[in-house]
Amino acid sequence: MQKLGEFKLPHFFNYPPYFTLQPVRDTREKQIQLWKELILDYCKTQKTFVIALEEEFPLFTNHVIERSLTHEAREAFLSALVSEGRAEWMDKGHRKCLILWHRIQDWADILIQFAKDNGLEDGVVTIEEIRSGTESQGTDLHGIDRTILNRALKLLEQKGKLVVFKGTSTDDEGVKFSV
Amino acid sequence: MRRRPGIGGLQTHAAARDQFRLLGENVAKIRTDLMKEQLATFRSQLEDFARKHKNDIRKNPAFRSQFHEMCAKVGVDPLASNKGFWAELLGIGDFYYELGVQIVDICLATRAHNGGLINLQELCHLLRQRRKNDRGVVSEDDCLRAISKLKVLGSGFEVISVGKRKLVRSVPTELNKDHNEILELAQAQGFVTVVEVERRLSWSSGRAIDALDTLLDEGLAMIDDGHRDGRRRYWFPCVSPISSSIAVDS
Repeated sequence: MQKLGEFKLPHFFNYPPYFTLQPVRDTREKQIQLWKELILDYCKTQKTFVIALEEEFPLFTNHVIERSLTHEAREAFLSALVSEGRAEWMDKGHRKCLILWHRIQDWADILIQFAKDNGLEDGVVTIEEIRSGTESQGTDLHGIDRTILNRALKLLEQKGKLVVFKGTSTDDEGVKFSV
Repeated sequence: MRRRPGIGGLQTHAAARDQFRLLGENVAKIRTDLMKEQLATFRSQLEDFARKHKNDIRKNPAFRSQFHEMCAKVGVDPLASNKGFWAELLGIGDFYYELGVQIVDICLATRAHNGGLINLQELCHLLRQRRKNDRGVVSEDDCLRAISKLKVLGSGFEVISVGKRKLVRSVPTELNKDHNEILELAQAQGFVTVVEVERRLSWSSGRAIDALDTLLDEGLAMIDDGHRDGRRRYWFPCVSPISSSIAVDS
């Protein structure tokens, strides 16, 4: 089986027609389903958060069979993810897409778990510590996209589970949990 | 016998006719008895044989197929009913019912990918994968037998021959001669182009496009516009070798 680094590619990835958006509805739905799963799976294992449609992305080209997804196909697959709440367009022109391999709600739950695991139920932690500190090492939070983290924090703030406060500079924000 | 006039003559004639009839019946009875006896002997020997080679029949697909042939010749169908001697003795009925259920399962699982038409070889391959833990091997002959039993359900399971290959159809799509010829052509590379169909089958372009469009609509074909030469390729998951490795759950 073909691999991308450590990532095992599904068989359909080697079947040329899967790189052309199918005109018949039933076939297209199946095709989109397979691609959606592949994109989420890949992003999760590679910790990829943003896909830029016009740039090289390992899944969009298969050099072995010399096929590449058209812009139309890329947009169709990502739009399908967006409509399911598993992705969000970052601009109106649909050039960049934020991939939510965990939904925002799930990220919020992970944050709460993180606080509990590290005895921070009433504690304070900086955002940088969440993203790159030793406490988050080995968890999905390590290296989390800033936008996604902010969204999850905002959701928890609305629920009164934490307060985000500013430090002296913008990249010095902190979080006070009250779980 | 010369016919003589009078009542006496008529009576004699009637008596003689009765005698002949009796004799005839006797002869016929002896013959049928003999035949019945022979058949019974044959049947009991077949049963003995089955009992003796029970394990071979269960485990060895070639042996199983020959046994089926032998049964067919004497008019015994071990699959006809799940009850009775044969099923009890061999459990063959269950074996084929089980295969049948698994075949239906595989056909349904791969339908989205192949439009309900699957290569018999691929089906067997998937069946074997699924039955990995079971002892005994499943042959294509077993598959065909199980499929023939599925016909009872009226669900439109059918085996069609396209070129050298056998395809199993699990959707009520009717394939006409044109479609069959295209499928046969596609077996070489897994795909065809309009130009290729026109040239190889000497068709008008309208005829080729029409048939390909139908196959596309039925979900049996997928288009591929990604090749360097810019020619649209029509791929057929049911005949192309790549699909043979696609797992049921993918």
